[in-house]
Amino acid sequence: MNDELAWVLQAQQGNDEAFAKLVEEHQTHVYNLCYRMLGEPEAAEDAAQETFLRAYQNLHRYDQSRSFATWLLSIGAHYCIDRLRRRKLAVFSVDEENDDGTSFEIADASSPDPEAETVKHEERDRLHILLKDLDDTDRAAVIMRYWYDFSEIEIAEALKLTVSAVKSRLHRARRALAGLWQEDEHSSARARTERRIHESPAF
Amino acid sequence: MNHQPFEDWLLNEKLIDPKQKLDLDAHLRICSYCSALAETGKALRSVKIAAPATGFTARFQTHLAARKLAERRRRLWGAILFTFGGLVMLAWIAGPYLSSFFASPATWITSLIEWGVFLITTLQAIAQAGSVMLRVMPSFLTPFGFMVLVSAFAGFGLLWTVSIWRFARGDVPRGV
Repeated sequence: MNDELAWVLQAQQGNDEAFAKLVEEHQTHVYNLCYRMLGEPEAAEDAAQETFLRAYQNLHRYDQSRSFATWLLSIGAHYCIDRLRRRKLAVFSVDEENDDGTSFEIADASSPDPEAETVKHEERDRLHILLKDLDDTDRAAVIMRYWYDFSEIEIAEALKLTVSAVKSRLHRARRALAGLWQEDEHSSARARTERRIHESPAF
Repeated sequence: MNHQPFEDWLLNEKLIDPKQKLDLDAHLRICSYCSALAETGKALRSVKIAAPATGFTARFQTHLAARKLAERRRRLWGAILFTFGGLVMLAWIAGPYLSSFFASPATWITSLIEWGVFLITTLQAIAQAGSVMLRVMPSFLTPFGFMVLVSAFAGFGLLWTVSIWRFARGDVPRGV
């Protein structure tokens, strides 16, 4: 029996310390999912906390034949989708990220080229902004696929969809992201051209 | 512009041979859509995991303790209200009969028999009223109306059964 299953069993018997170990183990994955889904560190923190509270509440319903991480992320994804549906009309801002130091990205220590790393970082930020324009469930599928390397079967299990629905949602999301990426590039190019027209020569 | 088979290769992340790679590179140079698809694919493959601020588990334990306390309070108040309400109801129902509590055993037996007779005659009256209604209703109701009524009853029955089933399965959230 692995450590995780032992903690789950102990937590199911009411051991809060064992559940705390599970929180410690999975906090980053759950937080990242919520952050990518909701776009804001504060909302992600709230959602991740709520995900663990719901998991604690429903621990007796956890099927041990399934992966605990998948089960946990499934709770998190459904909670975020519900939350997004509720605040559909509210203004969505992703510009506040990293401003208050409540969230940070794990640095890539193996990166040898700072310039390439900066470009990659910019692209990731751009992608993070573009993600918000996807349908909520499509976004959850994309996050599970690319951030967690979930298979289509695992995504289907977590999001309660059929495998073919997952496949078509992933394709739709990728197409939408490509479209948004193109639009973003066009508008950046337009902005650069406009700036150049109003610029005056330095010498 | 025809994006096939390039779009399929990019979306499904298929392994391609060197010749196909050359074809894809040539297509990417002229097709901004497929180029964007490839760029987003690369960006998605280089994503990073965002981590919460330190002390997440401690904050969770605080939340859990607060939630448990709130739940205990809610249950306590629920139990108090339920008990109090039950006592008031009991007093209201049993009040008129409290005087007979001190009466002789003969009076007790008489009132018990009266209750039994009342219960049986009431049930008989309800059954008779029901059978009369069933006999009379078809002459008032059109077949369509009758079907609507039966469907409504069936719907309510189904709703009730599903609710009981969901509750028994534990789909209805329980307290922490």
